[in-house]
Amino acid sequence: MSPLLIAQNTYREATRDRVMAGMVTAGIVLLVMTQIASPLALGEGTRLTVDLGLSGISMIGLLAVLLVGTSLVAKELERRTIYNLLSRPISRSAYLVGKWAGLTAALWTVAAALGLALWITLCLRGAGGHVLSIVEATYLAGLELSVITALAVLFSSLSTPVLSALYTLGIFVVGQWSYDLRELAAKFPAPLSAVMRMAADMAPNLPLFNMRSLASGGSPTTGLHLSLATGYALVYIACVLALATAAFESRDFK
Amino acid sequence: MQTPTGSVPDRPVPDRSPIPLGSRDAAPAIRAKALSKFYRNPWTLKVTRGLEDLSLELPRGEVMGYLGPNGAGKTTTLKLLTGLLKPTSGGAWLLGESIEHPSSRRRLGFLPEQPYFYDYLNGMEYLVMAGRLSGLQSHDAHRQAKLWLGRVGLGDRPALKLRKYSKGMLQRLGLAAALVHRPELLILDEPMSGLDPFGRRDVRDLILEQKHLGVTVLFSSHILPDVELLCDRVAIVLEGRLSRVATVAEIVHGASQRIEISCASDAALEIPPAWRRALYREERPQGALYVLEQDALLDEVLPWLASSGAQVRSVVPHRNSLETLLLAEAGGKSQVAPRDAIESEAPEQRRSA
Repeated sequence: MSPLLIAQNTYREATRDRVMAGMVTAGIVLLVMTQIASPLALGEGTRLTVDLGLSGISMIGLLAVLLVGTSLVAKELERRTIYNLLSRPISRSAYLVGKWAGLTAALWTVAAALGLALWITLCLRGAGGHVLSIVEATYLAGLELSVITALAVLFSSLSTPVLSALYTLGIFVVGQWSYDLRELAAKFPAPLSAVMRMAADMAPNLPLFNMRSLASGGSPTTGLHLSLATGYALVYIACVLALATAAFESRDFK
Repeated sequence: MQTPTGSVPDRPVPDRSPIPLGSRDAAPAIRAKALSKFYRNPWTLKVTRGLEDLSLELPRGEVMGYLGPNGAGKTTTLKLLTGLLKPTSGGAWLLGESIEHPSSRRRLGFLPEQPYFYDYLNGMEYLVMAGRLSGLQSHDAHRQAKLWLGRVGLGDRPALKLRKYSKGMLQRLGLAAALVHRPELLILDEPMSGLDPFGRRDVRDLILEQKHLGVTVLFSSHILPDVELLCDRVAIVLEGRLSRVATVAEIVHGASQRIEISCASDAALEIPPAWRRALYREERPQGALYVLEQDALLDEVLPWLASSGAQVRSVVPHRNSLETLLLAEAGGKSQVAPRDAIESEAPEQRRSA
């Protein structure tokens, strides 16, 4: 029950924050810009709209995680609001899971709002048949943001907001190019190559959540891909939150 | 709790029926055994003592004041008991449950020092959340939140965002949040700080009310007259160690009283050498004031004054305040000035005044 209450409160905090409203506005502005630029796309206006629209969901979501998620726990420590929560019958793991769930729910709301705006834009362009691929792509973007949020919660429970943002961004970059990093590692001498491979293995496999090229052609993905991505995200999130709890469990709140 | 007519009464009525009698009576409200907390600086590896070897028992229904100078270990103790700090060694139990388990805080109400809240919430939302986090059902949490918001004088503005609250209002909200789930044990860290005299009186009344309802209260405070008024016992902690636990009566009345003897005659009597450390004279516009530091000498001093023609007008005993005694206790442990300095300085200061 308590993780749900914490999540509810975190969701309320995130949605009442102007950052989230700003993110949705920025996403809609991006979509409008694509419509202005689409005549320059030489007949590929719909592809451009889908590609930029979906990229917008990921990037705006990432920005929201960096701005809100990385200070999620640190802000509570700094403002000492955490005293009012952890002096109640709430375990620290429930607290962290609640914080993650609340922000994730807020990001899913943003992703859904932007996905809906993208679909409406496509309908106005006469390409409403892309709906399935848009829903699937938005779902995968939501999963990606859930994974990144878990990492942000981990770093936020250990470090300052600025460092947490840097760590989270670093892992996002490594995760986006994890395949390239593995290939690159083969070209380096043994110790460095091992470190690079380890970084690629530990970082989340974010390309798994990317189906922008498929969606821009209007093609849906397979059920297996969606299931694999969902299972992978859940396991990765569970591992990260377990690590965060282990680190947070012994922490003193002076 | 609602009245049979469904209207809201003036104050919340605690309902403790769900708690089984066995668990209520079995263990003390607070038990600490060799509880210690040391902080290690990760860079210099220097170890600082926060609290060392605290063994303390607080029976149910008792109100205890936890006193000591700043940095003595009061807040460390309270944070250890409420799970915000992890003990380095030793253990503690709240209402019979180890503080290692979050469930030990189910029947605990805690007010941190200078409480901070989510400023995007309003008072009602915050109290509902606090109640629900402590195990109340949604309906009960709403009802209790409404009652307590009114009880602490914030009921006329339930939708006011907390960012617009004054410091005193936040303190009162914090107290309501500590009480909203009808706890059996209250731990309050400086509950009167930041309050005006009216707010202080309200908090005092609330603590007294909880005491009469059988709630156990442990609170730290620097406002010693309130401690004297509210507490059954006080514990004094100095430099991270428990220095003394005693009833207020033992501490205050057990000490020697100062007695002021007002005389009409201003004739400068020569004080016998044997009394010079205990008796001194102050000039007053209409006579003289003799201050006796040891009440045991009164039976000898009064006849001497009478026989010397001093014309005794009044004899006023002044009992030591908790503050004087706390300062003396702290002085002995070099927290402030040494005890000797306090004792020898006091008469000088009075003379110059």
